[in-house]
Amino acid sequence: MNARGLRRYVDDLLRGRRPKPFQPDDFEAAQIRTAIDLQAARLGSDAPREEFLTDLRRRLAAQADGAPQPADKPGATRRHVIVGTSAAAAAAVAAVSIDRALIDGGQVADGDNKYNSSELTPNTGRWTRVAASAEVPEGVMRPFDLGSVVGFVRRVDGKPEAVSGVCTHQGCRLWFDAPDGRLRCPCHSTSFSPAGQVLTHQLPIAPKPLPALMVREQNGAIEVFVPRPDEPA
Amino acid sequence: MTAHGEPIDPRPLRVVRGGGYPDWEAVYQDNATWVYRTIFARVGNRADAEDLTAEVFLAALRPLRLTASVGEVRAYLRTTARTALAAHWRETLGREITSIDDDIEQPPESEEAISTAPQRVAEVLERLPDNYRRILELRFLQGHSIKESAAELGVSVANAKVLQHRALRLAAQVNEKDES
Repeated sequence: MNARGLRRYVDDLLRGRRPKPFQPDDFEAAQIRTAIDLQAARLGSDAPREEFLTDLRRRLAAQADGAPQPADKPGATRRHVIVGTSAAAAAAVAAVSIDRALIDGGQVADGDNKYNSSELTPNTGRWTRVAASAEVPEGVMRPFDLGSVVGFVRRVDGKPEAVSGVCTHQGCRLWFDAPDGRLRCPCHSTSFSPAGQVLTHQLPIAPKPLPALMVREQNGAIEVFVPRPDEPA
Repeated sequence: MTAHGEPIDPRPLRVVRGGGYPDWEAVYQDNATWVYRTIFARVGNRADAEDLTAEVFLAALRPLRLTASVGEVRAYLRTTARTALAAHWRETLGREITSIDDDIEQPPESEEAISTAPQRVAEVLERLPDNYRRILELRFLQGHSIKESAAELGVSVANAKVLQHRALRLAAQVNEKDES
């Protein structure tokens, strides 16, 4: 109960001031909700100020001038989303070309002993380091971003596994919800298991599972196989 | 364009390069108003609405790829606004007071998607006793001071305060009952 906090909150709303934080209970929250509705229902109250729009435009221009700054990237991850089917398409194509490389390599290996070494090196891409081995202990979902390929690596029974980190629906970038142990899409409430299987979705048709990426561990590093940048994937 | 245009921003939608936007500025010009209004309808005050709108565009325009269609850009802006609003409530009141639906049938820039507050308020007010309805109309919808409202209703300022307090409580009860 916090009658005073509520009264002040409503008062601030009415006076057009920024309301002050407090801890409302259920019923107080309901009253705030109703007060907000009432404020929003006032005719013309929700038109943005011209000065605000102009000022924000200036700030955005300043940001656009400075961008892209790679140093900004880690801070932007929370809302870092790739928009556009082109991103999803690119990721899918990358995965397909990787799959094909694997299969082709496998078939060759079956027929010819000289490929029977422990490792296949398809020639359509290259192995790229995404993390140190120590950074991917059992039970950790580690994100990586190589520009052309975005994904997560983890360790299963000691072996590294990797999935794409881009939603198969519209290409939004996934984030890992650690408490729930699942990858979530910020755009349409789709979630995937760490292995890439769809767990929940609200779409008319279930999206495809996340493509698995080829991954290996060498010399204390986890590496993912990505298409060459010059390769039209 | 949708059947429900943007009355405040009459600028026509520019369709370029396969239906996308030519640059970030076009994205901003075309979407700033509905994003602001969507947020205002859920925070009820200008200061918070301006801060959150700025946050949405500063965050959204950075990674935005202009190959995205207008519809995709708008869906993305709405999602970004949804995230910003949720964080705002977590940080200020420690609980979600209002939210921006993810799953909407109308396009994000339509009146239905921006706010259903006027309809909800009309329904609630209709069910309140006369003096309760009037105090809320005077204070919130017409923006009168407590003193003016008291004079209008022919009661003391202290009475008007109590009336407003009780009216909001009852309105909240009616509102919540409607939703459940």
